[in-house]
Amino acid sequence: MAVVADAGTLYGLLAVGAGLATGLAGIGAGVGEQGIGAAVVGVVAEEPGFLGKGLFLMLLPETLIIFGLAVSLILMFAWTPFSGIVTP
Amino acid sequence: MLRPVKMSRVVVAGSKNVIAPVVEKLHELRLLHIVNYNGSQPSFEMGKPIGKAKEYSEDLIKLRSVTRYLDIKNKAPEKTYAESQILSELDNLLNNVGADITATFERITAIDAEVKTKQDQAKALTPLAVLPLPLDAYYGYDSLATFVGTAASAVDADVARVSPVNEIYSGSAKNATFVAVFVPIEKAGDVSAVLSEHGFSETSVPKLEGNVDSAIATLEGSVKSLEGEKAPLQKKLADMKKQYEDLMLATDEYLSMQTQKTEAPLRFAETANAFVIDGWVPTDEFSRLKSELESAASGKVDVQLIDDKEADDLVEKGEDVPTKIDNPSLVKPYELVTRLFAIPEYKEFDPSLLIFVFFPIMFGMILGDIGYGVMSLLVLLMLKKKFRTDGWQQLINIVMIASVWSIIFGIFFGEIFGPLGLWGRIMGQLSEHEIEAAKHAGLYFGEGVFGSLGRIGFWGIDIFPMDRLATNAVLLLIGTSIFIGVIHCSVGSIFGIMTELNYGEKKHAYFERLPVMLFQVFFAITLLGLVMGQMMMVYIGAIVIVVSIVMNVMGPEGAMGLAHVPSYVSNLISYLRLLAIGLASVGLAYAANQLAFYVIMPMLSGGATNSAEFSIPAIIVGILVLFAVHFINFLLGILSPFMHPLRLHYVEMFTKFYSAHGGGVEYSPFGHVRKFLKA
Repeated sequence: MAVVADAGTLYGLLAVGAGLATGLAGIGAGVGEQGIGAAVVGVVAEEPGFLGKGLFLMLLPETLIIFGLAVSLILMFAWTPFSGIVTP
Repeated sequence: MLRPVKMSRVVVAGSKNVIAPVVEKLHELRLLHIVNYNGSQPSFEMGKPIGKAKEYSEDLIKLRSVTRYLDIKNKAPEKTYAESQILSELDNLLNNVGADITATFERITAIDAEVKTKQDQAKALTPLAVLPLPLDAYYGYDSLATFVGTAASAVDADVARVSPVNEIYSGSAKNATFVAVFVPIEKAGDVSAVLSEHGFSETSVPKLEGNVDSAIATLEGSVKSLEGEKAPLQKKLADMKKQYEDLMLATDEYLSMQTQKTEAPLRFAETANAFVIDGWVPTDEFSRLKSELESAASGKVDVQLIDDKEADDLVEKGEDVPTKIDNPSLVKPYELVTRLFAIPEYKEFDPSLLIFVFFPIMFGMILGDIGYGVMSLLVLLMLKKKFRTDGWQQLINIVMIASVWSIIFGIFFGEIFGPLGLWGRIMGQLSEHEIEAAKHAGLYFGEGVFGSLGRIGFWGIDIFPMDRLATNAVLLLIGTSIFIGVIHCSVGSIFGIMTELNYGEKKHAYFERLPVMLFQVFFAITLLGLVMGQMMMVYIGAIVIVVSIVMNVMGPEGAMGLAHVPSYVSNLISYLRLLAIGLASVGLAYAANQLAFYVIMPMLSGGATNSAEFSIPAIIVGILVLFAVHFINFLLGILSPFMHPLRLHYVEMFTKFYSAHGGGVEYSPFGHVRKFLKA
């Protein structure tokens, strides 16, 4: 197979991809939490007993960023798709 | 421990003659969770208060208004009082002291109001200084209408048009024109209309005498003297607060207790001569309740246990069995976490023990640093002395137990204030050939893992801490996190199955809760098979996963149950946060150490490469940097390892068994825990 890129460039692209995965997931989680957080603070001000459930709801979108992180970890550590196409 | 305390339904019935001693005894025992009588039986009426209920509540209202004037809030007691002491002071406290405080407070309020009026007057007067009139010229006319205020433009010509007879004064101050218009009273309406065309807005002129400046001076003088009167009054209130605070809180407690007792019969059922109390009591306390009540009422009361079948009928009809959570003292702080979510129902599990097991391990795995662990232990020991309320004490105990785990994991990870730092200096470095030997022994965690790390040895066995930042350690921790997740979720699922069986919902147990557990366990086995290259495990795992999905579809939710399947996987992936948050904090600590030891210190000492050559200022700057970054990291490092395991419990675990049937009612026995009163 023809050599299309050197290992350094591809590794760099992988790192950029990993960064984007975590960063964009983080933004998504943040946007999700924004509305919930505001609503929870409002409810807790009225009824402090709701804190636990509110916390629970607020933390739901947190999982999103973990998905992003899982993808980056796989990209950085566990995936070697270019082993055949890079210069040795 | 894992289940709420077993409760029994009791009925206490007796002659009305003994209602007072029975209530007194119940209050003292604090055992019976009273079920309020709802008036549904035609032959029974709601009870009426006994004794001096009205007086007690009147006294309480009086006292509360006085405590509000003094701004007394509930606090930890410094002094306790005997009931007789309260009784002897009660009259004096409510009438003499109370009246004094009320009078003082009212005087202060009056002064405040007067000061406000005078300040408003002075403010209204200030612009009038531009008009050449004494203050008494503005009021007291029978046949003249007066308009005083600001106008946007000159009003003279237009006013003269509608009212030829007029007197107009104007002057400008700052950026407004001030006018005073005097016209015959019968022209008032026309003039008012004309003025409004000029953007006139009226000012009310205080009815004072003399010229404006001296009037303002008089007002300011009296404001000053009023303020002077107020200061000692406020000091008096502060002194009285200091003197009476504990006594007032104790009296409040005494009166609340008396009101509680005298009004208790409102919750009972009554006939002309007898009363009946329904309630729940912990089963093993029943005999004590019975004998104590019978001796208190000298036999004129009947305490009966209702058998389980009848009690079940009552529950069926909508009566709540109160939940009494009971855990050993070590686990008790974790009840706070349970409570924050919801009180479990009587038939549900109390997950406090599980939180006690899993929460500190997760916290430790995330923080995993000896330095931070010891720091947080020290800080918490200090806070423990300072914050004495129950809630704070529980919270502090939770984090203290977790800190111990973080020290344990710190040893595994070889971190004292992050990698690179103190561990290497304390435990020593591994030499090249030892690293080679470790690799040969199969302890190869990836390049660079052993480089800067030392080891600790026990009884001839060397433990090599692993570097969390090394590639293979990350992979290992990914696996560990997911398997902790599988165990955590499975325990939740097992509880879920048992809870559903307790409620007699076999279908929910076996076709809604069980498939989740099967799916997750065998998903992990499949992953493990893939990693280890054991295809047998993969096949078996895949088959069971398919079976579990089929079971789910056969379950109560039918095909809709498929919608939950992705969340089974995402639940497990969610546990990656155990690794991820830890990595973030290690990263920051690593950066701090790198910056201080390998950048700042060598650079400031003129390119020294050996730590012995570092100059004193370089070391000072380096330590300051270390201190600042580690401090920030420490604060974050306490917060997120706390919040995230909490979330893992609430979202991933509790949902497997908890929310199935909604929140329970907490066991709150009739009685009172004395705080300011001596027993």
